[in-house]
Amino acid sequence: MLRAIYRLAWKDVMGDFRHRSTFSSMLFFSLAVLLVFQAAFEPDHQEAQRLVPGLLWSTVLFTTIMGLGRVFQSEEENGAFEGLLLAPLPRGALFFGKWLGNLVLSLLVMGMLVPLTLILFNVNIWSHVPMLMFLLFLGTMGLTALGVLLAAMTQTARSRETLLALLLLPLVAPLLIAGVQAMAEVIANGNLNGPWLNLLLIFDAIYLALAPWGFGWLVEE
Amino acid sequence: MQRLIAFNRWLGWLTLGLLAAALWLVFDAPMDYQQGNSVRILYIHVPSAKMALFVYLALTVFSVWFLWKKSETADILTEAAAPVGAAFAMVTLASGSLWGKPMWGTWWAWDARLTSMLVLLILYVGIIALRNGIDDPIKGARATAVLCILGAVDLPIIHFSVVWWRTLHQPPSFSKASASPAISGPLLPPLIWMSIAFTFLGAYLIILKTREIRARRTLDTIEAERTFTHA
Repeated sequence: MLRAIYRLAWKDVMGDFRHRSTFSSMLFFSLAVLLVFQAAFEPDHQEAQRLVPGLLWSTVLFTTIMGLGRVFQSEEENGAFEGLLLAPLPRGALFFGKWLGNLVLSLLVMGMLVPLTLILFNVNIWSHVPMLMFLLFLGTMGLTALGVLLAAMTQTARSRETLLALLLLPLVAPLLIAGVQAMAEVIANGNLNGPWLNLLLIFDAIYLALAPWGFGWLVEE
Repeated sequence: MQRLIAFNRWLGWLTLGLLAAALWLVFDAPMDYQQGNSVRILYIHVPSAKMALFVYLALTVFSVWFLWKKSETADILTEAAAPVGAAFAMVTLASGSLWGKPMWGTWWAWDARLTSMLVLLILYVGIIALRNGIDDPIKGARATAVLCILGAVDLPIIHFSVVWWRTLHQPPSFSKASASPAISGPLLPPLIWMSIAFTFLGAYLIILKTREIRARRTLDTIEAERTFTHA
Protein backbone atom coordinates (compact mmCIF):
# COMPACT_ATOMS: atom_id res chain seq x y z
CA MET A 1 0.00 0.00 0.00
CA LEU A 2 2.86 2.36 0.79
CA ARG A 3 4.17 1.52 -2.61
CA ALA A 4 0.86 2.47 -4.19
CA ILE A 5 0.81 5.77 -2.33
CA TYR A 6 4.32 6.48 -3.50
CA ARG A 7 3.45 5.52 -7.10
CA LEU A 8 0.43 7.79 -7.14
CA ALA A 9 2.43 10.71 -5.75
CA TRP A 10 5.29 10.03 -8.18
CA LYS A 11 2.86 10.03 -11.11
CA ASP A 12 1.54 13.45 -10.10
CA VAL A 13 4.93 15.01 -9.47
CA MET A 14 6.47 13.61 -12.66
CA GLY A 15 3.42 14.45 -14.73
CA ASP A 16 3.61 17.95 -13.40
CA PHE A 17 7.23 18.40 -14.34
CA ARG A 18 6.66 16.96 -17.82
CA HIS A 19 3.71 18.99 -19.00
CA ARG A 20 1.31 20.54 -16.55
CA SER A 21 3.89 22.68 -14.77
CA THR A 22 1.87 23.61 -11.70
CA PHE A 23 5.24 23.88 -10.01
CA SER A 24 6.56 26.73 -12.10
CA SER A 25 3.22 28.59 -12.01
CA MET A 26 3.21 28.27 -8.22
CA LEU A 27 6.77 29.51 -7.95
CA PHE A 28 6.22 32.55 -10.11
CA PHE A 29 2.85 33.22 -8.53
CA SER A 30 4.56 33.33 -5.13
CA LEU A 31 7.07 35.81 -6.51
CA ALA A 32 4.18 37.91 -7.76
CA VAL A 33 2.59 37.80 -4.29
CA LEU A 34 5.86 38.99 -2.76
CA LEU A 35 5.92 41.82 -5.28
CA VAL A 36 2.37 42.76 -4.26
CA PHE A 37 3.35 42.82 -0.59
CA GLN A 38 6.38 44.95 -1.31
CA ALA A 39 4.28 47.41 -3.28
CA ALA A 40 1.53 47.44 -0.66
CA PHE A 41 3.66 47.85 2.48
CA GLU A 42 7.05 49.16 1.35
CA PRO A 43 8.65 47.90 4.57
CA ASP A 44 11.97 49.35 5.68
CA HIS A 45 14.62 47.07 7.10
CA GLN A 46 13.16 46.92 10.64
CA GLU A 47 9.59 46.43 9.51
CA ALA A 48 10.63 43.77 7.04
CA GLN A 49 12.08 41.64 9.79
CA ARG A 50 8.86 41.93 11.77
CA LEU A 51 6.73 41.21 8.70
CA VAL A 52 8.64 38.13 7.49
CA PRO A 53 6.46 35.50 9.28
CA GLY A 54 3.25 37.03 7.98
CA LEU A 55 4.69 37.49 4.49
CA LEU A 56 5.91 33.92 4.28
CA TRP A 57 2.72 32.37 5.60
CA SER A 58 0.33 34.41 3.48
CA THR A 59 2.41 33.76 0.37
CA VAL A 60 2.46 30.05 1.19
CA LEU A 61 -1.30 30.07 1.73
CA PHE A 62 -2.12 31.80 -1.56
CA THR A 63 0.36 29.72 -3.50
CA THR A 64 -0.98 26.49 -2.02
CA ILE A 65 -4.54 27.43 -2.92
CA MET A 66 -3.40 27.90 -6.48
CA GLY A 67 -1.73 24.48 -6.55
CA LEU A 68 -4.74 22.82 -4.92
CA GLY A 69 -7.02 24.03 -7.68
CA ARG A 70 -5.18 21.65 -9.98
CA VAL A 71 -4.90 18.57 -7.80
CA PHE A 72 -7.74 16.72 -9.46
CA GLN A 73 -7.66 18.60 -12.74
CA SER A 74 -5.94 16.01 -14.92
CA GLU A 75 -8.15 13.23 -13.59
CA GLU A 76 -11.23 15.34 -14.15
CA GLU A 77 -10.30 16.32 -17.71
CA ASN A 78 -9.50 12.83 -18.89
CA GLY A 79 -12.13 10.98 -16.92
CA ALA A 80 -9.36 9.14 -15.15
CA PHE A 81 -10.80 9.59 -11.70
CA GLU A 82 -13.10 6.60 -12.10
CA GLY A 83 -10.04 4.61 -13.06
CA LEU A 84 -8.34 5.61 -9.85
CA LEU A 85 -11.42 4.69 -7.85
CA LEU A 86 -11.47 1.27 -9.50
CA ALA A 87 -7.91 0.54 -8.37
CA PRO A 88 -7.87 -2.13 -5.67
CA LEU A 89 -6.85 0.35 -2.99
CA PRO A 90 -8.50 1.69 0.13
CA ARG A 91 -9.82 5.24 -0.33
CA GLY A 92 -7.44 6.41 2.38
CA ALA A 93 -4.44 5.27 0.34
CA LEU A 94 -5.81 7.16 -2.65
CA PHE A 95 -6.07 10.27 -0.53
CA PHE A 96 -2.55 9.93 0.83
CA GLY A 97 -1.19 9.46 -2.67
CA LYS A 98 -2.79 12.66 -3.94
CA TRP A 99 -1.77 14.44 -0.77
CA LEU A 100 1.85 13.37 -1.00
CA GLY A 101 2.11 14.51 -4.60
CA ASN A 102 0.73 17.92 -3.72
CA LEU A 103 2.89 18.13 -0.61
CA VAL A 104 6.08 17.45 -2.57
CA LEU A 105 5.28 20.16 -5.11
CA SER A 106 4.39 22.67 -2.38
CA LEU A 107 7.55 21.88 -0.42
CA LEU A 108 9.70 22.35 -3.51
CA VAL A 109 8.16 25.78 -3.99
CA MET A 110 8.67 26.63 -0.32
CA GLY A 111 12.30 25.55 -0.41
CA MET A 112 12.88 28.29 -2.95
CA LEU A 113 10.45 30.77 -1.47
CA VAL A 114 12.23 31.18 1.88
CA PRO A 115 15.61 32.27 0.50
CA LEU A 116 13.90 34.39 -2.16
CA THR A 117 11.89 36.23 0.49
CA LEU A 118 14.97 36.90 2.60
CA ILE A 119 16.83 38.21 -0.44
CA LEU A 120 14.01 40.31 -1.85
CA PHE A 121 13.10 41.89 1.48
CA ASN A 122 16.75 42.17 2.44
CA VAL A 123 16.38 40.53 5.84
CA ASN A 124 19.43 38.99 7.40
CA ILE A 125 18.15 36.02 9.39
CA TRP A 126 19.93 33.33 7.44
CA SER A 127 20.91 31.43 10.58
CA HIS A 128 17.22 30.74 11.27
CA VAL A 129 16.47 29.38 7.82
CA PRO A 130 16.44 25.66 8.79
CA MET A 131 13.97 26.38 11.59
CA LEU A 132 11.78 28.51 9.33
CA MET A 133 11.79 25.73 6.75
CA PHE A 134 10.89 23.19 9.40
CA LEU A 135 7.90 25.28 10.54
CA LEU A 136 6.74 25.74 6.96
CA PHE A 137 7.10 22.00 6.43
CA LEU A 138 4.90 21.26 9.45
CA GLY A 139 2.35 23.86 8.40
CA THR A 140 2.23 22.65 4.81
CA MET A 141 1.48 19.09 5.91
CA GLY A 142 -1.75 20.13 7.62
CA LEU A 143 -2.54 22.77 5.02
CA THR A 144 -2.31 20.38 2.09
CA ALA A 145 -4.16 17.60 3.97
CA LEU A 146 -7.11 19.93 4.51
CA GLY A 147 -6.62 21.43 1.07
CA VAL A 148 -6.68 18.17 -0.90
CA LEU A 149 -9.84 17.18 0.95
CA LEU A 150 -11.49 20.49 0.08
CA ALA A 151 -10.27 20.18 -3.50
CA ALA A 152 -12.02 16.81 -3.72
CA MET A 153 -15.09 18.40 -2.17
CA THR A 154 -15.30 21.27 -4.64
CA GLN A 155 -14.16 19.21 -7.60
CA THR A 156 -17.55 19.03 -9.30
CA ALA A 157 -18.77 22.43 -8.15
CA ARG A 158 -19.31 25.49 -10.25
CA SER A 159 -16.57 28.15 -9.80
CA ARG A 160 -14.63 25.66 -7.73
CA GLU A 161 -11.46 27.71 -7.28
CA THR A 162 -13.33 30.54 -5.59
CA LEU A 163 -15.20 28.04 -3.46
CA LEU A 164 -11.97 26.30 -2.49
CA ALA A 165 -10.46 29.56 -1.25
CA LEU A 166 -13.66 30.53 0.58
CA LEU A 167 -13.73 27.21 2.44
CA LEU A 168 -10.01 26.85 3.06
CA LEU A 169 -9.22 30.27 4.49
CA PRO A 170 -11.49 30.21 7.58
CA LEU A 171 -10.76 26.57 8.40
CA VAL A 172 -7.04 27.11 8.18
CA ALA A 173 -7.05 30.17 10.47
CA PRO A 174 -5.63 28.30 13.50
CA LEU A 175 -2.74 27.00 11.43
CA LEU A 176 -1.98 30.47 10.18
CA ILE A 177 -2.06 31.99 13.66
CA ALA A 178 0.09 29.21 15.12
CA GLY A 179 2.54 29.31 12.23
CA VAL A 180 3.01 33.07 12.32
CA GLN A 181 3.42 33.14 16.11
CA ALA A 182 5.88 30.24 16.13
CA MET A 183 7.91 31.85 13.38
CA ALA A 184 7.94 35.23 15.11
CA GLU A 185 9.22 33.44 18.22
CA VAL A 186 12.01 31.83 16.20
CA ILE A 187 13.05 35.13 14.66
CA ALA A 188 12.92 37.00 17.97
CA ASN A 189 14.50 34.44 20.32
CA GLY A 190 15.78 31.66 18.11
CA ASN A 191 13.95 28.90 19.96
CA LEU A 192 11.60 26.45 18.39
CA ASN A 193 9.36 25.12 21.13
CA GLY A 194 6.34 26.55 22.85
CA PRO A 195 2.56 26.29 22.62
CA TRP A 196 2.34 27.45 19.01
CA LEU A 197 4.51 24.60 17.77
CA ASN A 198 2.25 22.20 19.65
CA LEU A 199 -0.81 23.74 18.03
CA LEU A 200 0.77 23.20 14.61
CA LEU A 201 1.37 19.55 15.47
CA ILE A 202 -2.16 19.11 16.79
CA PHE A 203 -3.59 20.65 13.63
CA ASP A 204 -1.50 18.32 11.46
CA ALA A 205 -2.50 15.27 13.45
CA ILE A 206 -6.21 16.11 13.34
CA TYR A 207 -6.29 16.78 9.62
CA LEU A 208 -4.13 13.85 8.63
CA ALA A 209 -6.53 11.62 10.56
CA LEU A 210 -9.74 13.32 9.46
CA ALA A 211 -9.05 14.03 5.79
CA PRO A 212 -8.79 10.40 4.53
CA TRP A 213 -12.04 9.64 6.32
CA GLY A 214 -13.80 12.62 4.74
CA PHE A 215 -12.32 11.75 1.36
CA GLY A 216 -13.80 8.26 1.63
CA TRP A 217 -17.27 9.77 2.03
CA LEU A 218 -16.82 12.20 -0.83
CA VAL A 219 -15.79 9.75 -3.52
CA GLU A 220 -18.16 6.95 -2.57
CA GLU A 221 -20.37 6.02 -5.49
CA MET B 1 -47.13 17.92 5.21
CA GLN B 2 -50.41 19.69 6.03
CA ARG B 3 -49.82 18.96 9.71
CA LEU B 4 -46.32 20.44 9.50
CA ILE B 5 -47.66 23.60 7.87
CA ALA B 6 -50.32 23.98 10.55
CA PHE B 7 -47.76 23.30 13.28
CA ASN B 8 -45.35 25.82 11.88
CA ARG B 9 -48.02 28.49 11.59
CA TRP B 10 -48.85 27.91 15.23
CA LEU B 11 -45.15 27.98 16.09
CA GLY B 12 -44.82 31.28 14.25
CA TRP B 13 -47.53 32.94 16.30
CA LEU B 14 -46.06 31.54 19.49
CA THR B 15 -42.64 32.93 18.53
CA LEU B 16 -44.15 36.31 17.78
CA GLY B 17 -45.86 36.35 21.17
CA LEU B 18 -42.73 35.31 22.98
CA LEU B 19 -40.66 37.93 21.18
CA ALA B 20 -43.18 40.64 22.04
CA ALA B 21 -43.28 39.58 25.69
CA ALA B 22 -39.50 39.39 25.91
CA LEU B 23 -39.15 42.77 24.23
CA TRP B 24 -41.56 44.26 26.75
CA LEU B 25 -39.41 42.81 29.55
CA VAL B 26 -36.30 44.23 27.91
CA PHE B 27 -37.66 47.76 27.97
CA ASP B 28 -39.15 47.26 31.41
CA ALA B 29 -35.80 46.18 32.89
CA PRO B 30 -33.76 48.87 34.67
CA MET B 31 -30.77 50.49 33.03
CA ASP B 32 -27.34 49.17 33.81
CA TYR B 33 -25.58 51.59 36.17
CA GLN B 34 -22.49 51.70 33.95
CA GLN B 35 -23.80 50.88 30.50
CA GLY B 36 -27.03 52.85 30.67
CA ASN B 37 -29.54 52.07 27.94
CA SER B 38 -26.93 50.45 25.69
CA VAL B 39 -27.20 47.32 27.82
CA ARG B 40 -30.49 46.60 26.05
CA ILE B 41 -28.58 45.78 22.86
CA LEU B 42 -27.18 42.77 24.67
CA TYR B 43 -30.64 41.25 24.99
CA ILE B 44 -30.49 40.75 21.23
CA HIS B 45 -26.76 40.14 21.02
CA VAL B 46 -26.37 37.33 23.57
CA PRO B 47 -29.35 35.19 22.44
CA SER B 48 -28.39 35.46 18.78
CA ALA B 49 -24.78 34.50 19.59
CA LYS B 50 -26.09 31.45 21.43
CA MET B 51 -28.32 30.60 18.50
CA ALA B 52 -25.50 31.01 15.99
CA LEU B 53 -23.58 28.35 17.87
CA PHE B 54 -26.60 26.19 18.61
CA VAL B 55 -27.66 26.09 14.95
CA TYR B 56 -24.17 24.91 14.07
CA LEU B 57 -24.54 22.13 16.60
CA ALA B 58 -27.85 21.17 14.97
CA LEU B 59 -26.16 21.32 11.56
CA THR B 60 -23.54 18.87 12.75
CA VAL B 61 -26.19 16.50 14.08
CA PHE B 62 -28.11 16.67 10.78
CA SER B 63 -24.90 16.00 8.85
CA VAL B 64 -23.97 12.95 10.89
CA TRP B 65 -27.55 11.74 10.56
CA PHE B 66 -27.38 12.20 6.79
CA LEU B 67 -24.08 10.33 6.34
CA TRP B 68 -25.25 7.58 8.65
CA LYS B 69 -28.81 6.98 7.43
CA LYS B 70 -28.70 8.61 3.99
CA SER B 71 -31.97 10.30 4.89
CA GLU B 72 -33.20 13.04 2.58
CA THR B 73 -34.88 14.80 5.49
CA ALA B 74 -31.49 15.24 7.14
CA ASP B 75 -30.10 16.69 3.93
CA ILE B 76 -32.97 19.15 3.62
CA LEU B 77 -32.58 20.16 7.26
CA THR B 78 -28.85 20.75 6.71
CA GLU B 79 -29.59 22.94 3.74
CA ALA B 80 -32.30 24.79 5.68
CA ALA B 81 -30.29 25.38 8.86
CA ALA B 82 -27.21 26.94 7.25
CA PRO B 83 -28.77 30.27 6.16
CA VAL B 84 -30.60 30.57 9.49
CA GLY B 85 -27.31 30.14 11.35
CA ALA B 86 -25.65 32.66 9.05
CA ALA B 87 -28.41 35.16 9.81
CA PHE B 88 -27.94 34.74 13.57
CA ALA B 89 -24.17 35.10 13.24
CA MET B 90 -24.67 38.28 11.24
CA VAL B 91 -27.09 39.72 13.81
CA THR B 92 -24.57 38.87 16.53
CA LEU B 93 -21.77 40.72 14.78
CA ALA B 94 -23.92 43.71 13.88
CA SER B 95 -25.45 44.12 17.34
CA GLY B 96 -22.08 43.57 18.98
CA SER B 97 -20.62 46.26 16.81
CA LEU B 98 -23.38 48.70 17.77
CA TRP B 99 -22.77 47.94 21.42
CA GLY B 100 -19.00 48.03 21.10
CA LYS B 101 -18.83 51.58 19.76
CA PRO B 102 -20.18 53.27 22.92
CA MET B 103 -18.80 50.68 25.37
CA TRP B 104 -15.33 49.78 24.09
CA GLY B 105 -14.95 52.88 21.95
CA THR B 106 -14.53 50.82 18.80
CA TRP B 107 -16.78 49.04 16.31
CA TRP B 108 -14.50 46.09 16.08
CA ALA B 109 -11.57 44.51 17.88
CA TRP B 110 -9.68 41.39 16.86
CA ASP B 111 -10.64 39.76 20.10
CA ALA B 112 -11.01 36.01 20.52
CA ARG B 113 -14.77 35.71 20.44
CA LEU B 114 -15.29 38.33 17.76
CA THR B 115 -12.80 36.57 15.54
CA SER B 116 -14.40 33.15 16.16
CA MET B 117 -17.85 34.53 15.35
CA LEU B 118 -16.55 36.07 12.13
CA VAL B 119 -14.98 32.75 11.14
CA LEU B 120 -18.27 31.02 11.96
CA LEU B 121 -20.13 33.43 9.67
CA ILE B 122 -17.67 32.80 6.82
CA LEU B 123 -18.00 29.08 7.40
CA TYR B 124 -21.81 29.30 7.19
CA VAL B 125 -21.52 31.25 3.95
CA GLY B 126 -19.07 28.65 2.64
CA ILE B 127 -21.52 25.85 3.46
CA ILE B 128 -24.33 27.66 1.65
CA ALA B 129 -22.10 28.35 -1.35
CA LEU B 130 -20.94 24.74 -1.54
CA ARG B 131 -24.51 23.42 -1.32
CA ASN B 132 -25.61 25.73 -4.13
CA GLY B 133 -22.50 25.16 -6.21
CA ILE B 134 -22.86 21.43 -6.81
CA ASP B 135 -25.55 20.33 -9.23
CA ASP B 136 -25.50 16.60 -8.52
CA PRO B 137 -27.88 16.35 -5.53
CA ILE B 138 -26.23 13.34 -3.89
CA LYS B 139 -22.69 14.60 -4.30
CA GLY B 140 -23.73 18.04 -3.09
CA ALA B 141 -25.44 16.65 -0.02
CA ARG B 142 -22.46 14.49 0.84
CA ALA B 143 -19.91 17.26 0.34
CA THR B 144 -21.95 19.62 2.53
CA ALA B 145 -22.29 17.04 5.30
CA VAL B 146 -18.54 16.36 5.32
CA LEU B 147 -17.83 20.10 5.35
CA CYS B 148 -20.19 20.65 8.31
CA ILE B 149 -18.46 17.93 10.32
CA LEU B 150 -15.07 19.30 9.35
CA GLY B 151 -16.19 22.69 10.61
CA ALA B 152 -17.46 21.18 13.84
CA VAL B 153 -14.00 19.76 14.48
CA ASP B 154 -12.26 22.93 13.39
CA LEU B 155 -14.37 25.48 15.31
CA PRO B 156 -13.05 24.50 18.77
CA ILE B 157 -9.48 24.64 17.44
CA ILE B 158 -10.17 28.06 15.95
CA HIS B 159 -11.69 29.18 19.21
CA PHE B 160 -8.80 28.05 21.39
CA SER B 161 -6.17 29.36 19.04
CA VAL B 162 -7.71 32.82 18.97
CA VAL B 163 -8.24 32.74 22.74
CA TRP B 164 -4.50 32.20 23.18
CA TRP B 165 -3.89 34.77 20.52
CA ARG B 166 -5.82 37.65 22.09
CA THR B 167 -8.54 38.34 24.58
CA LEU B 168 -10.40 41.51 25.43
CA HIS B 169 -14.02 40.37 25.63
CA GLN B 170 -15.58 40.17 29.09
CA PRO B 171 -16.23 36.67 30.44
CA PRO B 172 -19.70 35.25 29.75
CA SER B 173 -22.44 36.88 31.80
CA PHE B 174 -24.51 33.85 32.67
CA SER B 175 -24.68 30.06 32.47
CA LYS B 176 -21.09 29.71 33.67
CA ALA B 177 -20.80 26.71 35.97
CA SER B 178 -20.70 29.05 38.95
CA ALA B 179 -23.90 29.45 40.96
CA SER B 180 -23.99 33.25 40.92
CA PRO B 181 -24.24 34.76 37.47
CA ALA B 182 -22.15 37.84 36.78
CA ILE B 183 -25.28 39.72 35.77
CA SER B 184 -27.43 41.51 38.32
CA GLY B 185 -30.82 40.00 39.20
CA PRO B 186 -33.35 42.28 37.50
CA LEU B 187 -31.46 42.18 34.21
CA LEU B 188 -31.63 38.39 34.00
CA PRO B 189 -35.31 37.55 33.21
CA PRO B 190 -35.47 39.46 29.91
CA LEU B 191 -32.29 37.73 28.81
CA ILE B 192 -33.70 34.29 29.60
CA TRP B 193 -37.02 35.06 27.88
CA MET B 194 -35.26 36.50 24.88
CA SER B 195 -33.12 33.35 24.65
CA ILE B 196 -36.24 31.18 24.70
CA ALA B 197 -37.92 33.37 22.08
CA PHE B 198 -34.84 33.19 19.85
CA THR B 199 -34.73 29.41 20.13
CA PHE B 200 -38.34 29.25 18.90
CA LEU B 201 -37.52 31.76 16.17
CA GLY B 202 -34.67 29.55 14.98
CA ALA B 203 -36.88 26.45 14.90
CA TYR B 204 -39.64 28.36 13.08
CA LEU B 205 -37.27 29.72 10.43
CA ILE B 206 -35.65 26.33 9.84
CA ILE B 207 -39.02 24.62 9.35
CA LEU B 208 -40.13 27.42 7.04
CA LYS B 209 -36.96 27.03 4.99
CA THR B 210 -37.43 23.25 4.95
CA ARG B 211 -40.82 23.66 3.34
CA GLU B 212 -39.37 25.99 0.71
CA ILE B 213 -36.57 23.54 -0.14
CA ARG B 214 -38.98 20.61 -0.33
CA ALA B 215 -41.25 22.55 -2.66
CA ARG B 216 -38.33 23.59 -4.84
CA ARG B 217 -37.06 20.02 -5.12
CA THR B 218 -40.48 18.72 -6.06
CA LEU B 219 -40.71 21.44 -8.68
CA ASP B 220 -37.28 20.50 -10.05
CA THR B 221 -38.34 16.88 -10.36
CA ILE B 222 -41.52 17.81 -12.20
CA GLU B 223 -39.58 20.14 -14.46
CA ALA B 224 -37.02 17.42 -15.24
CA GLU B 225 -39.76 14.91 -16.04
CA ARG B 226 -41.54 17.39 -18.31
CA THR B 227 -38.39 18.18 -20.32
CA PHE B 228 -37.76 14.47 -20.56
CA THR B 229 -41.19 13.63 -22.00
CA HIS B 230 -41.14 16.59 -24.39
CA ALA B 231 -37.69 15.81 -25.73
